[in-house]
Amino acid sequence: MIPTKFEYAKPSSLDEAFALLAEHGPDAKLLAGGHSLIPMMKLRLAEPEMLIDLAGIPGLTGITVRDGRVSIGAMTKHATLAASEELRQHAPVLFEAANALGDPQVRNRGTIGGALANGDPGCDYAAVMLALDATFTVAGKGGTREEAASSFMVGMFETTLSPEEVLVGVSFAAAPASAYVKYAHPASGYPLVGAAVVLSMNGDAISEARVGVTGVGDHAFRAGSVEKALAGVRPSDRTALEGACAGSAAGVDVRSEPAAGAGYRSAMCDVYVSRAVLAATRG
Amino acid sequence: MNLVGAPIDRVDGRRKITGTARYAAETPLPGLTYAVMVESTIPAGTIAAVDAAAATRASGVIAVLTYENAPKVEQHKVAGMTDRNLPLLQDRIVRYDRQPVAVVVADTFERATDAASLVRIRYDTSVPALSLAHGSGYHPEHSHGDEPSVYERGNVDAAFAGADVKIDRTYTTPVEHHNPMEPHATVATWDGDVLTVYDATQGVFGTRSRLAVAFGIPPANVRVVCPFVGGGFGSKGSAWAHTVLAAMAARAVKRPVKLVLARPQMFGSVGYRPATIQRVTLGAKRDGTLVSTLHEVRSQTSIFDEFVEPSAELTKMLYAVPNVRTINTVVPLNAATPTFMRAPGESSGSFALESAMDELAYAVGLDPLEVRLRNHADSDPSKQLPFSSKSLRECYSVGAERFGWSRRVPRARSMRDGGLLVGMGVASATYPTNRSAASALVRLSSDGTAHVFAGTQDLGTGAYTVFSQVAAEELGIPVSSVRFELGDTNFPMGPVSGGSQTTASVGNAVSVAARSARDRAIGLALGDPQSSLHGHDADAIDVRDGRIFLRDRPDVGDTYAAILGRHPQGEIEERGDARPGDEKTAFSMHAFGAQFAEVRVDPELGTVRVVKMVGAFASGRILNAKTARSQYLGGMVWGLSMALHEITRTDARSGRIMNANLADYLVPVNKDVPSDFEAYIVPEDDPNVNPLGVKGIGEIGIVGAAAAIANAVYHATGTRVRDLPIQPEKLV
Repeated sequence: MIPTKFEYAKPSSLDEAFALLAEHGPDAKLLAGGHSLIPMMKLRLAEPEMLIDLAGIPGLTGITVRDGRVSIGAMTKHATLAASEELRQHAPVLFEAANALGDPQVRNRGTIGGALANGDPGCDYAAVMLALDATFTVAGKGGTREEAASSFMVGMFETTLSPEEVLVGVSFAAAPASAYVKYAHPASGYPLVGAAVVLSMNGDAISEARVGVTGVGDHAFRAGSVEKALAGVRPSDRTALEGACAGSAAGVDVRSEPAAGAGYRSAMCDVYVSRAVLAATRG
Repeated sequence: MNLVGAPIDRVDGRRKITGTARYAAETPLPGLTYAVMVESTIPAGTIAAVDAAAATRASGVIAVLTYENAPKVEQHKVAGMTDRNLPLLQDRIVRYDRQPVAVVVADTFERATDAASLVRIRYDTSVPALSLAHGSGYHPEHSHGDEPSVYERGNVDAAFAGADVKIDRTYTTPVEHHNPMEPHATVATWDGDVLTVYDATQGVFGTRSRLAVAFGIPPANVRVVCPFVGGGFGSKGSAWAHTVLAAMAARAVKRPVKLVLARPQMFGSVGYRPATIQRVTLGAKRDGTLVSTLHEVRSQTSIFDEFVEPSAELTKMLYAVPNVRTINTVVPLNAATPTFMRAPGESSGSFALESAMDELAYAVGLDPLEVRLRNHADSDPSKQLPFSSKSLRECYSVGAERFGWSRRVPRARSMRDGGLLVGMGVASATYPTNRSAASALVRLSSDGTAHVFAGTQDLGTGAYTVFSQVAAEELGIPVSSVRFELGDTNFPMGPVSGGSQTTASVGNAVSVAARSARDRAIGLALGDPQSSLHGHDADAIDVRDGRIFLRDRPDVGDTYAAILGRHPQGEIEERGDARPGDEKTAFSMHAFGAQFAEVRVDPELGTVRVVKMVGAFASGRILNAKTARSQYLGGMVWGLSMALHEITRTDARSGRIMNANLADYLVPVNKDVPSDFEAYIVPEDDPNVNPLGVKGIGEIGIVGAAAAIANAVYHATGTRVRDLPIQPEKLV
């Protein structure tokens, strides 16, 4: 209920933040909204000695669309994404995820970078980033590096982000034919299954599909076999669509919990992937 | 004046929404200290060692009580249906997961919470008894009250063997925890040997006697105060360990102590609905008339106390069946002691019986409503008594009409709405009319107001409101001139607010007391030479708006204010005592109802959405149509919850509760409740049941609701779920 004692700093530049990170090492935590971190601190599941608030650093927010590419600052709030007409047009999959995420309080404070860096196995955006084949921009003392979303996510609450780095932004190619649908936990709203789909169409048939799934395994994953099977499928052909989406969680160690056992969750994964494909086609 | 029955707003509503209604945990006392319970982390074993050193040293800590240093108190119950054996730190035995094993008292709540986390306890574990299905059980002496746990009329085996149509099914219901919004809370303070306790309770007098027994002091030395309850649902019907422990801690630290349960602790030591395994067999003729019913109930209790979930009581009387056998078996488990929860017995039992009736309807090819009508009991077949009143047929017809039952296509899985499956279900509801002795005191003052006192409780049900209405009507004054106080053992005694009995019990006492006060005031006027009514006959008098007047000459009159203004004391007091008469020997007394539910099921996901619920209930005279409707609707919501959401999960290996929080223990929110949702009051005049003509309304709203939804789910999907709750996984 009461966190352990900690220091709070609000740097005004990334360099200041890096200095603080270097000084405190793994005892420091970055605050980027705090809707996961603060509750964890209250439960003493996290006990950082130094909390570095990124909210004072300029240049980390905003949505830019240029030459068919969408770039988003890590400190952009969910509510901003959820209200963005540009995003609705160029990447409905992310727009829908932002609207389906959390509640108004969470959306008004939480940020896309914070959610992704946290590595929660139920992170809605994780599936979206995989489906968008997004690139993450990570800044560190020695400069910035770029990493594919697919290699960034490693495991449950585990990413490739080192304790001295800051996720500063994500970017991806515009994806007008895309959608995100989720089966929300009835109390928490976290996805029991979240499915993100980005399509390229050739007439009324799918030429290429990218499918990201979250909430099912210990981290989000691409449903590779489904992506292959979807190529050439006409989504209006229900039987073909369901056939292509079958086994979407194959090979994944599916989580089991009271709200959804592993068998049920796997079955729902197929249903939601096919619903996401249909939603993306309606785009 | 017809105040009784008027759908007035609740008189305590403004206090509640403005936050001035004071609940137990909000009691401010000078020098208050804060207690936090430490609970066991194993279901069975003994405490091998306690290390309280770090907790004792923690800042602000005043005391750490464990079995090693706790004062001796009596932990066994004495008598009465609500009294329980309690774990009060008197021995090293651990009987269930989350049993209190230590109490930490500190100067702030945060410090007490922190120190509680520092108490280290080592256990020697033993093998817990955890299986209801396989554990060895016994037949208790009684299933409920004086009812025998094994009952038979006629010859069930012979009748079932010869029946044209046979249904033989097993239904199960899980452990459910009450989870009222207000957590259990106690503030205790001692003055010498006199104990005052502010407690969240459904029975101030039951809590008083439990505390008196525990500490070996006279009940007169204990005062229990509870002006408001934020929901109880049965869990606050008994005094539990935390209440005694708070008083024990207050005595130990010689300061007032507040102990409020955290939400996870609401899954610990304050009761729950036990899991049941119920076998129901129905033998019927081809025309759907029943020849036999068997209802076997297996429910859990704790290894240190007995509670029987009386699921088969309604089976004895709901339908006109010549051959009926009911059997209750209880299985002691390493779990906390279960207790009354939202129509104990009737709600769990009606799920089984009314699901079976639905199965019978399909087996004989009849409308489920028609099957129920063909088995209607015109008199009580178990007691062989007439009903004091019964309007079940009207409930069926009103409910069916308002619901639109005629829209239903008989065959299962035959109705659709786009991609969704549509289903409609029905179930009967019944709940016995209980009543206990109760008293009330009315004080009429020279300002024309009445102050009414009764040692009862308002669980959020509307007791303040309806009793104010009763007093106002009897006295002939506006409701706004009545100040009603309850929830204090300094007031005249009332029973536990359980069994839907409060209005029938206390309402009649308020009525008697108010009438006595009115008659005494009239007598004062008639005998007072200064009154214009002097010398007139009491039979010629009427009272309205605080004015006493001649019925035939309304201009001749006097007011309460004037009459009492001339009285030397300026006020009069009258006490009213009311107790059940011999109506129980002449009549069977029950409220009845009919529940209708419509669902949409997504066949791909197995998710069930209840889109419409209609209940029609006949419960005698309704004192306030507004609060009554809220009671019915509340019950129906909990029925929906029972059908689709609630289940407490215990790990089969560790015996620990796995979902002691409201994220994993699901209760319905507004989005789960259908927008098309109504309870209809079927008018019923019952001159036999009690002087006020009221039957209980607090619990019947949940009875049958889960079955109606389960039956609707079957109608929609063709899948019969006999194991609550109906989770999506069970439908795909």
